Amino acid sequence: MTRSTAGSLGGFYVALLLLAANLAAQTPSDLATERAGYLAWLKKAPNSPLSAVAQQKIGDGVRLGPSEAEIPLAGIEEYRVYPSGGGLVLDGPGGKRPIGRGRPYRIGKYALYLTGPQPGTVLTVFADGAGREPPGYYDYDASVVFTGPLLRSERPEQARVLASDGMEAEATEVGTVVVPLGGRTSLRVLRIPVAGSDESELEIFFRDGTNGDGSYPAGRFVSLIPATDGRFRLDFNRARNPFCAYSAVYACPLPWRGNVIAEPVRAGERYSGGGLENPSTQENAK
Amino acid sequence: MLELLIQAAVALTASPSPAGPWKAVLDLSGGALPFALQIDARGRVWEGQLCNGRTCQSFSAVRLEGDSVILEIADYAAVLKASVRSDSLLGYYHNVGSKGPRTIPFRAARGRWPVSRAPRRLLGRWDATYYQDLGTSPRVFDLRNEAGGFQGRIISSTGDYGPYTGAVVGDSFAIGLFDGSFVYLLTGKLVGDTLRGVFHAGLRAQTPWTAVRSTGEPHLKSPTEVSRADTTAPLRFGFPDLQGRLVRADDPRFRGKVLLVDIFGTWCPSCHEATPELLRLYRRYHPRGLEVVGLAFEATGDTAVDAPQVRRYRDKFGIPFPLLLAGVNDNESIAAALPQLQDVTAFPTRVFVGRDVRVRRIHAGFHGLAAGPQHARQVGEFEAEIEKLLKESVNSKQ
Repeated sequence: MTRSTAGSLGGFYVALLLLAANLAAQTPSDLATERAGYLAWLKKAPNSPLSAVAQQKIGDGVRLGPSEAEIPLAGIEEYRVYPSGGGLVLDGPGGKRPIGRGRPYRIGKYALYLTGPQPGTVLTVFADGAGREPPGYYDYDASVVFTGPLLRSERPEQARVLASDGMEAEATEVGTVVVPLGGRTSLRVLRIPVAGSDESELEIFFRDGTNGDGSYPAGRFVSLIPATDGRFRLDFNRARNPFCAYSAVYACPLPWRGNVIAEPVRAGERYSGGGLENPSTQENAK
Repeated sequence: MLELLIQAAVALTASPSPAGPWKAVLDLSGGALPFALQIDARGRVWEGQLCNGRTCQSFSAVRLEGDSVILEIADYAAVLKASVRSDSLLGYYHNVGSKGPRTIPFRAARGRWPVSRAPRRLLGRWDATYYQDLGTSPRVFDLRNEAGGFQGRIISSTGDYGPYTGAVVGDSFAIGLFDGSFVYLLTGKLVGDTLRGVFHAGLRAQTPWTAVRSTGEPHLKSPTEVSRADTTAPLRFGFPDLQGRLVRADDPRFRGKVLLVDIFGTWCPSCHEATPELLRLYRRYHPRGLEVVGLAFEATGDTAVDAPQVRRYRDKFGIPFPLLLAGVNDNESIAAALPQLQDVTAFPTRVFVGRDVRVRRIHAGFHGLAAGPQHARQVGEFEAEIEKLLKESVNSKQ
């Protein structure tokens, strides 16, 4: 089924209409497998975003533990994390020790993770047993699967954005697609690199009529998937929450300019609450 | 009669054996990445190998669960899981990074890939240009017919990931490299005197490229021009070893010695390939004053996962020098952990440090044995640099 009416959006972009694909209404097995793997990770991983209870930039240093500390952790004596000698140090009752980025350090039932370079290094605290149930998914909807070509920006530009995990990423604005939802909606597409590899994802951060009424209020991410003949597949059943939907400790990406679909897209990951409430580290420590 | 019926029923319901050779592919968005599997039963113990052409690695474990076979690649915290049909495997490849799992469809059919040979017009060295969003990036393709069939290497300024293998049809080819960590596929076609194609990385990333025959002129950056260092101050680092003890650059064991810092990851196949050569250098020059320290930048950031991986790596090669848990394998973490080094983008990267604790040379990447003359030249450069630094006195450069 090929409906084509590519349209110009002006500026440097030429928008292309993505065409509805004729897919079965049952969740495809590859999508079901992806979802199962992701849900298992959300439920079990020590650094699952569902278990995050606090996050803060290190700056000159962060105090943890006592109730008046920047990150209070009930039942935990005072610890400090601060820069020292080109690295970072965890200073607590057991003495000082270096603390590396991306590696968990246990304090009681908590795990501390550092991510990102100084001066912007971020400390995230995860609590054992703090994880909530992962949100569910809308029923599979074959009518929100589209295929079509992407015309690239004539002059791609770098853009510093927050990725789905709330961390800054040096992305590249590669172009736009148009979907026949809410009339004809233009969606900007950014390439976000996968750290430490040659891999990357073409990402769309979008909002739609379900935000705050079934899906996360700030919007969701969905990846553009290469298909054949230079075309791409956009499957809103693969729409997923930013990490800030799982825990309010994560920075939430600003909604991307445009990228608003003026109708509900009842597909992909739902929102089950929790992302808008600050988790209580005091309660979690009990 | 009843017994026969029961036996027939059991035969109908029992899962077929996964034993034997398999022609396997990962189904990437842009095409099928070919590789091979060999699964065998030794008594009641299952074992198997993952092969790219004639280069094979053993699975760390092979298990049967119900009608599924599970092939584990512990070095990369990865797994292939598939349901076993009579003549096929159908499942997925799965590994977990710091931002969640990666899942890629996987399938296999019984048998061996036919040996594929390319016409002479495809063979040889090609200067390739990758067309990325913000510019171009050079590579060299080295395409050959080997005993095991058509094979290619993709060489960047920081070395190569090992041989890609696959098939040729007319003037078109598709060669892949899958080792449990790297998921790479190169598809191309000869059009006139130019090769054109796509480099596929992981499930979805695709980079178009063109290539023309190498003229012999340098097309890549030198491995020593990729990364840079602040040499105005002594190199500083401090990370825990596998026993949790802090090891710093000014540790007494390194004082007055020539230090070779190996930036590596257990997830990095090139690092595995490069380690025997590093051990040879250590054994040859340690008695004269060379120390080596490995800084591991790992995939998950979870000590419970990473420390056993690094221990396994140490034990696999019998590494006698310290291996430190330095962080996770993203550029920002490396930059934060080693702020005096810039643009460390290759694994492995070797940092040669003089007796004065100043960085004297950084070599990005590694040319494996398959690279032939480049490998030999690289080894010669490493030895010459170490010899030079060993001859210097502690104060000669201060």
